[in-house]
Parts: sequence; structure tokens; C-alpha cells
Amino acid sequence: MKTERAISDEFMNALVDDQLDSDEKDYALREANQNTEFRERVCELRALKEMVQHAYPQVADAPPRTRGRTSLRLSHLQSLAACFMLLMIGGTSGWLAHDISSPASDNQMVHSLRALQQNDFGIHPSKYVVHVDTANPIRLKTALDEAENLLTTAQDTSQPSQVEIIANGPGLDLLRTGISPFAQRIALMQKKYPGLDFMACGQTIRKLKEQGIVVELLPHTQVTPSALEQIITRRLKQNWAYIKV
Amino acid sequence: MREQLEQSRLRLYRVAYSWCSDRALSDDLVQETLSKALKSASQLRDPDRFNSWLFSIMANCWRDHFRNHQEMDDIDELEDYRCVHEVTPEDEHAQTQIVQRVRAAVGNLPVGQRQVLTLVDLEDFSYAEVASILGIPAGTVMSRLCRARQALKGMLLEFAPRQTAQVTRIRRVK
Repeated sequence: MKTERAISDEFMNALVDDQLDSDEKDYALREANQNTEFRERVCELRALKEMVQHAYPQVADAPPRTRGRTSLRLSHLQSLAACFMLLMIGGTSGWLAHDISSPASDNQMVHSLRALQQNDFGIHPSKYVVHVDTANPIRLKTALDEAENLLTTAQDTSQPSQVEIIANGPGLDLLRTGISPFAQRIALMQKKYPGLDFMACGQTIRKLKEQGIVVELLPHTQVTPSALEQIITRRLKQNWAYIKV
Repeated sequence: MREQLEQSRLRLYRVAYSWCSDRALSDDLVQETLSKALKSASQLRDPDRFNSWLFSIMANCWRDHFRNHQEMDDIDELEDYRCVHEVTPEDEHAQTQIVQRVRAAVGNLPVGQRQVLTLVDLEDFSYAEVASILGIPAGTVMSRLCRARQALKGMLLEFAPRQTAQVTRIRRVK
């Protein structure tokens, strides 16, 4: 693919699907820094991709071996995933305020999110949850950069600040010993910023263990039973700002 | 090989369900795929290509399924194929959920676009691998993917109209 066609839909899709070579990625990053429309298009495509992934969860209910005993029940986790999907889209495109009909549990969370969005009272401008769910090293680095920027700014202005980096899915690689490309940097950041916490998704760890994969986390990494619950039902309700990387 | 195939069952089922939106048909498709894969295991010369080999078998099974239905002449030209399936109270309940809305949108895509989209999004296959699995040129993979996402965006925007208020507290970093 030639970079002259950089703004084509094919190029945008290839970027989101990690199909570009390094020169093309460099071009895309430069473009993303300068071009608002480009960023919005990437955001939309990423949102669509994640929507599809959330609509067909990895641990789809066990496939039926025989007819008549099949089930595709939506688990609570899936409901959370749906809410999270809505949250992500709301964050990127401002779609959150649409009226949906969903079960009570979904409604409750959506209502909470909507209330948070529309009411600025009680916001903790110095509390941030940074969510990473990809193993893409560029995005892992962005998560750390983002957290460091927030904490440095807070230190410079003598404001207390708290940042929680939550990793789930492939993003757990950020916090895995022997796998994380940023283990040393994370250790340094933990020493430098007392208000920084790293949190791993317990469900992701459990799934990896079920596949026979040994998961060893970096020192001082905390484990939350579910990343999505931690984000949606705890941090956002506590008025933390949410950053999706 | 048998164990490896069995471990692939969930992933096959996930993609099969995204293609046909029918549980029983997905089950049949996966069973047939596994059965054919087992019989033709000796044809897999490069173990690194196991995944794309397996999914190409399923794509062929899916194509065969259409060929066995008179109303489905050309898989690439199909615009709307919705399998007939029983509606349970469980299904009706699920209909109200966002996940179901996305599934419905994916299900409304032309089959060729749906296959490309789900192989890329759900299985993380490269464009070259998808081209190999479906037996189509890489350029076709890219154009189908573009059209699929454009259509999906249009369908899902109907469910989620843009909000005019500025959102400041939730953002995404690229």
C-alpha cells in the first residue's frame, strides 16, 4: 500500500487492523498528530472493531455439541461488555446519550454513565483510570506516557493526583513479568509516583490459566476480579475520569 | 491433531455464529469442519498455517451450505441472508441488548463482507491470511472490509445518534 493513498478508507482500516508496515505507521502517527479528522476516523473504526469483538465474546457460551441443548445466554460479563462498548463509543463520538432499552442492570450502568457525563458536580479532576486492552506496544507506551503526563502535571502544580492503569485482555501483557516491554519503566514510575497504581484483570488471568498459561505479574501489581466492573461500577461511579488508550 | 482441533472448537463456533446467526447451523458447521479437517489432516504441510487452513475448511463448508440451497446462487452477491431460527423467550430478552443490535448489524452485511470482517476482527487474521482462507485477492479483502465497516457504521449510528454536548470526561487516546 502506498502512502500517497494514506487517507483512503483502505489505509485507515489497515491502520486499525495493524496491517501497515513501519513507514506507513510512521506516516499515520504523524498524520494523527496533525489531523483531527484523521483521528476521528481512526476512533470510529476502532470503536466499530471493538463493538464486533464485544458482540461475539471470546468465551462464547460453550458451543453446543447437540441440537436442542444450545444456549447463547448473555452473561453478566457480556452485559458489562455491552455497557463498556457504549461507554467507549460515548467517549469517542459522543454517542452516549442515546436512548436504549436494555435490562435493568444495563440501564442502571448506562444511567450512571450518562449522569456522570452530564453532571460535572463532584468530579475529581485529579483521579484518572487509564484502560488498556491491547498488546500493541505503541498503545502500551501511550498508556504509560499518558499516566506520566497526568502525574507530572499534578506534581508541578502541587495537586494530589491518582492514576490507575487497568489492563485486561491482550493488554495484560503490559503487566506480565517476562513479557511486558516496559517492566523497567513501570518499576521506575511506581517509585516516582505514589499515586500510581497498576491493576490486572482477574478474569483475563483466569482465562489464561485455563489455557495452561502461567501468569506472573510485575511487582506491586494489584488484581481486580473484573476490569470492566472496576472501571464501570466502581471508578466511574466514583467520578474518576476515564481514558481509553 | 485431534486435540488441537478440539481446542479450536470455540473459536470456530464464534466465527460460524457470526456468519450465520444460527446456533444449530453453527454447530453443524463446526462439526463438519472438524470432521473434514481430521480426514484431511495429512494435507496440512506447514503447521504454522494450521489456523488459516482450518478456517479455510470452514469457509468451504459454509460455501457448500449455500450451494445446497437453491435460492443462494452466488455467495459473493448475497445481500441479506438470515437463517430461520426459533425465537425463544431468551432470544427475545436478548434482543433488547446492545450486543444483539451489533450482531443484527453484522448479520445484515452481505455474506462476503461478513466473512472478511469477522475473520479480521474476531480471529485477528492478516489480510493475506483472509485472502488465502476465502480464496479471494487481498484487494478484495480490503474493499470488502471497507464496505463492511461503512455499512456497520451506518447501521449502528441509527441506534446511537450523535450527542451534541461536548464530552470532556471520557476520552480515548490514540
